[in-house]
Amino acid sequence: MLSGGHGEVNPNSSWHSSRGAWLSYLAGVLALHLFLLSIPLISIPTAWTLTNVIHNLANYLFLHQIKGTPWQLLDQGKSRLMTAWEQIDYGQQFTTTRKFITIIPIVLFLLTSFYTKYEFNHFAINFATLLLVLIPKLPQFHMVRLFGINKY
Amino acid sequence: MSSQWNVYESFQALLQAGPYHLALEGVLVMCIIWLFTAKKQPSKLIRLTKKEEEELIAEWMPEPLVPNPPKEDHPALHTRTIYGKPGRYLDLGTGEKLLNLGTHSYLNLGERPEVEEAALECLHKYGVGSCGPRGFYGTTEVHLKLEDRLAVFFNCEKAVLYSYGFSTSASAIPAYSKSGDVIYADEMVNFALQRGLQASRSRIVYFRHNDVEHLRELLEEQSRLDKKDPKKANATRKFMVVESIYINTGMMCPLPELVKLRQKYKLRLFIDESVTFGTLGPNCRGITDHYNIPMKEVDMIMANLESSAASSGGFCVGTEFVIEHQRLSGLGYCFSASLPPMLAAASIKVLDILESEGCELVVVLQDKCRQIQEVLSKLSSKLEVSGEDISPVKHLRLRESTGDREADENILRKIVEKAESHGLALTLASYLWEKEASPPLPSIRITVNKDLTTEEIQKVGEAIQKAVMEVME
Repeated sequence: MLSGGHGEVNPNSSWHSSRGAWLSYLAGVLALHLFLLSIPLISIPTAWTLTNVIHNLANYLFLHQIKGTPWQLLDQGKSRLMTAWEQIDYGQQFTTTRKFITIIPIVLFLLTSFYTKYEFNHFAINFATLLLVLIPKLPQFHMVRLFGINKY
Repeated sequence: MSSQWNVYESFQALLQAGPYHLALEGVLVMCIIWLFTAKKQPSKLIRLTKKEEEELIAEWMPEPLVPNPPKEDHPALHTRTIYGKPGRYLDLGTGEKLLNLGTHSYLNLGERPEVEEAALECLHKYGVGSCGPRGFYGTTEVHLKLEDRLAVFFNCEKAVLYSYGFSTSASAIPAYSKSGDVIYADEMVNFALQRGLQASRSRIVYFRHNDVEHLRELLEEQSRLDKKDPKKANATRKFMVVESIYINTGMMCPLPELVKLRQKYKLRLFIDESVTFGTLGPNCRGITDHYNIPMKEVDMIMANLESSAASSGGFCVGTEFVIEHQRLSGLGYCFSASLPPMLAAASIKVLDILESEGCELVVVLQDKCRQIQEVLSKLSSKLEVSGEDISPVKHLRLRESTGDREADENILRKIVEKAESHGLALTLASYLWEKEASPPLPSIRITVNKDLTTEEIQKVGEAIQKAVMEVME
């Protein structure tokens, strides 16, 4: 499948920026949380921690683990070794989209901490997964593969 | 069990949380504020002040449209015109018709009336051009029929047709090999292949011409590296690109050994059969036919229709899985107007001829190739001939180079000019010397035409001999 018609060399650089994508993202997190809350056996703090953990793992998987594009691009494989996060806005830092996607996990962590009443076990799990998604988002870590993890 | 949520309790918990935790949350909130206030990193565009702009404009010196124009007597400024059809004889407008050993019409099918008739018949139906790329109203049933016929001829699943021979290999290679991949290529591959290799942005490893041992060493080295970093090896595709008969040397590639290496080191093998299409093998199917190697041992065959097939354009054949990929990824296929239908019709007729009488044509051609080889090898102590004896392309080189490429070329050019006065149309192999990966030695490129008679071949020998005597002795 060729990505043609919208004048974008790599559609992965721009679709995250649409307001629809932002709204869907927020709606998805909300839906996940409501679903977890609706399960009778799960207490409210557990539901928050689960929301946070699932969100962060999914965030890590889709933005920092999977490389390349679902499209066949005409860039001769330039983006083959780039994660989706690195492809956003062609690698430009501190764009609105990048800020938005970085702020979401932080806010989610703060909320989760509040609703888990700052219990240590919850905190440890939530903070660990927060670091998992925050560190690779830092501009200093652009195209950096610590210890060669996920290099190819 | 989930219980009632008590807002008061929650805020109590917030107050009771340790100072470290609150500090951490404070840091995170600061992060958010920092992100909100951070400026978008400036894109790499450089903005100049008015003054700088003016300075730059004042400094600018326009370059001449043609930098370093060649001297008036440069041969490229004095091209020759061929009048009429280039067949066994050429009309250069000098009065006498010259025996043609310069153009690549090995089987001389361009002079067959039925090929011309087929083209004319199609011309009356479809007009001259197809007026569009294949994916955009440029496909006619003639193109589809030619693709089917090519696939059947090569005993493959699919074929894809290009409108220009050069862009066939230059598009097909980058359609598969991308940045991060490795291509092993013979150092003498032709210029179109070199362009394809370059456009792929892959790492290109050239092995010495027809040197299987060198290739094996390189592959062995790579497999040692792969063992150290298996993850990288998994993400790297490896290709091998060779020509069946190298147009720049006339030598044949040792396909059976290459096929063994392909299996051992899991390479994808692409062969350019531009010279050998129609000229090699018992069924004139090319080098796989010659060595009797099944088509599944080769991943893709590329060839142009501009030599034996007496037409224009090029094609790739292989499995459906491989070939169909080019319909969206072969840039020359996607973005060029398709082959004029009349040329495709001519090619279909050529395939008819190759299928019905190809076996005899090949035998005749190879016999002529051997005869010419014999004549040329006995020519003179000053020249040596390179190329397989059954190759329709041969190169005449100076046995002792003067050490300077241009001087060598000038000697050879004089031989070509003298040969013309003895009724022979020869051509100096011309290259873009600065852009060739490993420039071949200067040579006169001799192409063999199947319809040459034994007397004419004798005449070729005598004429070149005379020309050499006049120039070098």
